[in-house]
Order: sequence, then structure tokens, then C-alpha cells
Amino acid sequence: MEKNEPLYETLNPWADADPISPRGLTAERLADLNGKKIGLFHIWKRASRPILEVLERELKKRYPSASFSWYSESQLNTPEIESVNHKKFEDWLKELDTVFFAYGD
Amino acid sequence: MYNGISAEERGVPAVVLINEGFIEDARSAASSRAMPGIRFVPITVPPESTVMEVIEKGTLEAIEAIIKAAIMPLTEEERSPRPKQLEQNDRIIFRGTLDEVNRFYYQRGWTDGFPIIPPTEEKVAEMLTGTELPADTLLGKLLPRMGKATVEKIAINAVMAGALPTYMPVLIAGTRLLLNSESGFQGFCTFGVSTGSWSPFWLINGPVRKDINLNCSSGTLSPGNIANATIGRAMGLIIKNIGGIRKGIEDMGVMGNPGKYTMVMGENEEESPWEPLHTEYGFTRDESSIMLTFPQSYIQHFPPANDDSGILHSVTDNIVPGMVYSIIFPPLHAKTLAHDGWTKKEIREFICEYARVPAARQRRSIGQSNPKLWKGKIDAREGDTVPIIQDPRVIRIVVAGGPGSFIAHAIGGGPTPGKAEIQKIELPSNWDTLVKKYRNIVPNHVRY
Repeated sequence: MEKNEPLYETLNPWADADPISPRGLTAERLADLNGKKIGLFHIWKRASRPILEVLERELKKRYPSASFSWYSESQLNTPEIESVNHKKFEDWLKELDTVFFAYGD
Repeated sequence: MYNGISAEERGVPAVVLINEGFIEDARSAASSRAMPGIRFVPITVPPESTVMEVIEKGTLEAIEAIIKAAIMPLTEEERSPRPKQLEQNDRIIFRGTLDEVNRFYYQRGWTDGFPIIPPTEEKVAEMLTGTELPADTLLGKLLPRMGKATVEKIAINAVMAGALPTYMPVLIAGTRLLLNSESGFQGFCTFGVSTGSWSPFWLINGPVRKDINLNCSSGTLSPGNIANATIGRAMGLIIKNIGGIRKGIEDMGVMGNPGKYTMVMGENEEESPWEPLHTEYGFTRDESSIMLTFPQSYIQHFPPANDDSGILHSVTDNIVPGMVYSIIFPPLHAKTLAHDGWTKKEIREFICEYARVPAARQRRSIGQSNPKLWKGKIDAREGDTVPIIQDPRVIRIVVAGGPGSFIAHAIGGGPTPGKAEIQKIELPSNWDTLVKKYRNIVPNHVRY
């Protein structure tokens, strides 16, 4: 620092935000997927559905008595629970024992 | 992530598959919805991949991790995550030389890479003279971080950007527009974080343009005018430091966009033969407004002829797929079109009718297969064409720029027509005095 160089006391541009209390997971995981209903939810990204098709195939090999139910995002880049089909989504979730979502970017 | 969280909230165990390049983004998203423990599995498949070999390989490589995420019992941390340490958000954050301030703010991720003006108490107090709103006025909480957009925080970021106090009404209106943004795909937050690198494009109408020396004429989008440069810059800092959208973490733009430094234009109302753009949204000429769209691309083209046919065919020849279009005519072509009887409505309709592509080239990126014609009823044949733009309301006709023939298109995203697209700029009661104080801050170039 040069002598006599002015010093600046500066304010914080980073906004305050209310603290968010983190929520824990409560849904118990299934030790065995045999006999369970597995949801496969894909968004509009091109790889989403094919990824889940590979997953479905592999899960069927490992868990032959599992069943599968597909769901396709109804409004681009909109959480399904906030979409026009939120009720349909909620009803779909009620039928499931576990669910896989693809594909996040 | 949000869909996975919805499932967990409803008692259904969820696993979210994400691309490995988006791990930080996923953590940020999960944390913002207060469920940091949601299980996600990164895989190597590019999200837009259509190559089955790549999809197969990437998915199979992760299959054990995916299954493990589905069946492993919950850990104690997942059941009861530790609360994050409260952010220490002191109001006075640093003391140092100009270089030290800049380095500190840069290393905190609070700048856009350019040097900033240190936001001292004195500079922020001067910036606050640009509004009658008290400094602690809370305009709202800005997505995705839900940062509190107070007038003071706006002023701090405005100082950093080099803005003048007379820009505060514009920045406050711009922030309100962000806060009013529609939710979902067309909202500012989606565009701000998207891999598509959509840049905020601020278009200003009304008398405020002259008051703040906003360039509406030659080189309106080029560097050289404080208002054009720093209004966009300040809004970018507001989006980052109040909204919490940061490059590589929340803002996952693949290529990025130079428009994110600043993209601010004033409509050249004085040389436009038509009514100003904002009057189409119910404003009077005497009112000032700010409008926001999110172009991904910006092109310019030079019509083969200067008559209406040459101009309009040049426009339609250069329409590329997008969602919202700002077609920016220089005064020269606007006057020609108006002289030949064209209204803005007719121009929009012409563009919709004649900007066409072969049906087989219709954009497939969002899962559309080779399109059928007429509301999906008839198969397209070889040689059939379809319009690129279906809804004329997504086309904005703007007049800006200086003398010359180049036409510009800013193409990309934007609000759904009819949703929050435009915001009134409210001026303080001492506006005339303020304007007088800063009016003469204009460049004076040496002639050579």
C-alpha cells in the first residue's frame, strides 16, 4: 500500500435472506424393490426418457416383480407441483413406493 | 430437484439423476428449498444427448449408485440435517485501498469481473438521493435465493456499477419487474440460471431517457454512455448479489453471453414514425417504462434493397427459431415502412406469415418430431413449410439506432405476452432538481 493512499470503508452488496431451517428426509427407503411400484418421471431434456428406459430395463433384471409407472413433465422448466397438472402429479405420487427423476441440468 | 423434493414432501422416497456438471447447482437448489439431503446421483450423460451409446454407457456406469441411492437406509444426517451457520452479513464489510476493495469484492464473487466503485456510506447516500423511498424499504425477495431487495442494497450495487443517482428510479423499476416475473419457464429466474445463457435486455421508453442521457441513437448498444453501460451492469449485480444467481453455480449458461455485462437500449421515439413501444402496453407518451426480455442471440443484417419489400424480406430471411423477438429498425427503415403504409401490427403479421422453414427443419430440440401440419392433423410432405413464429404478440417492433441500414434482431426468451413484461418508472418529486445536477455528465470528444 502506498503512503497516503485513501482507504475506503465499504458496504455489503450481498442481500440478507431469511434463514431456512433445513428439513430432513422422512420417507423410509425400501430395502427391496421387488413387488414395488416404481415411478419414472422425465422432463423435456432429450436424454431424460432414454436414461430412464435404461434404468427401467436394469431394474427389471434385478427386481423382476417390480412394476413401473411413467410420468412426463407437463410445463417446461416448471416444478410439476406448480403446474396446471399438479393434482395429476400428486395422485400419481400417491400410487408409488419410490420414484426416479431425470434429468437435471 | 424441485420435483424430487415434492415427492419427498409427500412421503415418496426420491432419487434425482443429474448431469455431473451440475452438482453445485443441485446442492444450491436443494438448499434453497430447505431439503439439502435429497438424494441425487450425478451421471455423465449430456442432458441433450441423442446418442444411445452414450446414454446407455453413462447410465450403466452409474446404475449401482442409483440403486444404492434408492435403497440405502436414511442416515441420521439425512433425517436431521444440521442447520447451516447463519451468514454473517455485516453491513460494513471491508476497509481497504481501492485495489484491496476490488480484490476483496471480486474474490467474494460479488462483481462482474470489471473494477467497481467502492460502495462507501457517502457514495451510497448520494445514490439514495435518486429516490424518495427510505433505504430500508423492502421491495420483495428475489429468486432464487430470496434475497431481500431493499432500496439500500439496490443503491450499493448501483454504486459498484458506476451508476448515477438519476438511474435509481430505473433500477427500482427494473427490480420490481424481476420481482413480478412470472413463475415457471418464462420467468426471469429460469432464464437467469439456464444453460441457454439468456441475457437480460432492458428497453426503456418515455421522457426519462432524455433526463438521464440514455443513448437511443447511434451505437445504442455499444459502450460509451454511462446510462446504457451502468444500468445494465447494476441490474446484473442485483441479480447476482440480491437474487443469488452466480456463474457456474446457479447460472449454468454453457457459453455465457456478453449481453450479461449490459444490454440496455432506449427506443428512439423522436425519430420513430410510430407510437412508442410502451404505448402498446397502455402507457402514455409522457410516462416512462422499462421492459425486459431475455435474448440468447443478437444478429444484424443489411437489407438487399431499401424499399419495404427489401426491408421486410431481409427481416423474414433472418428470423431464427426463438420464443420472443425484438426486431429493431433503424429510423431510416422505420420511416420507409411507415411511409408505405405499414403499421407495426401488419409488420408482425407479415413476419409470422412469411418467416417459414421447411417442415422437416422445424426445431426438434424440445422433443418435437417432424411436425404435422395444421394443428397436428396432416403429415408434412417434402417441400411443405411451416411458420417459425406462430403468435405475433411475441414480436416487439422497436425503433432505435442511428443513421444507416442495419436492422437488429434480439432473439430469445421473455415473458408470456400479457404477463409481467413492463414496469412503470416512478420519479421522485425532486426529479427536475436531480436531473439538473447530473445532466451535464456527458462525453465530450476531441475532434481530430
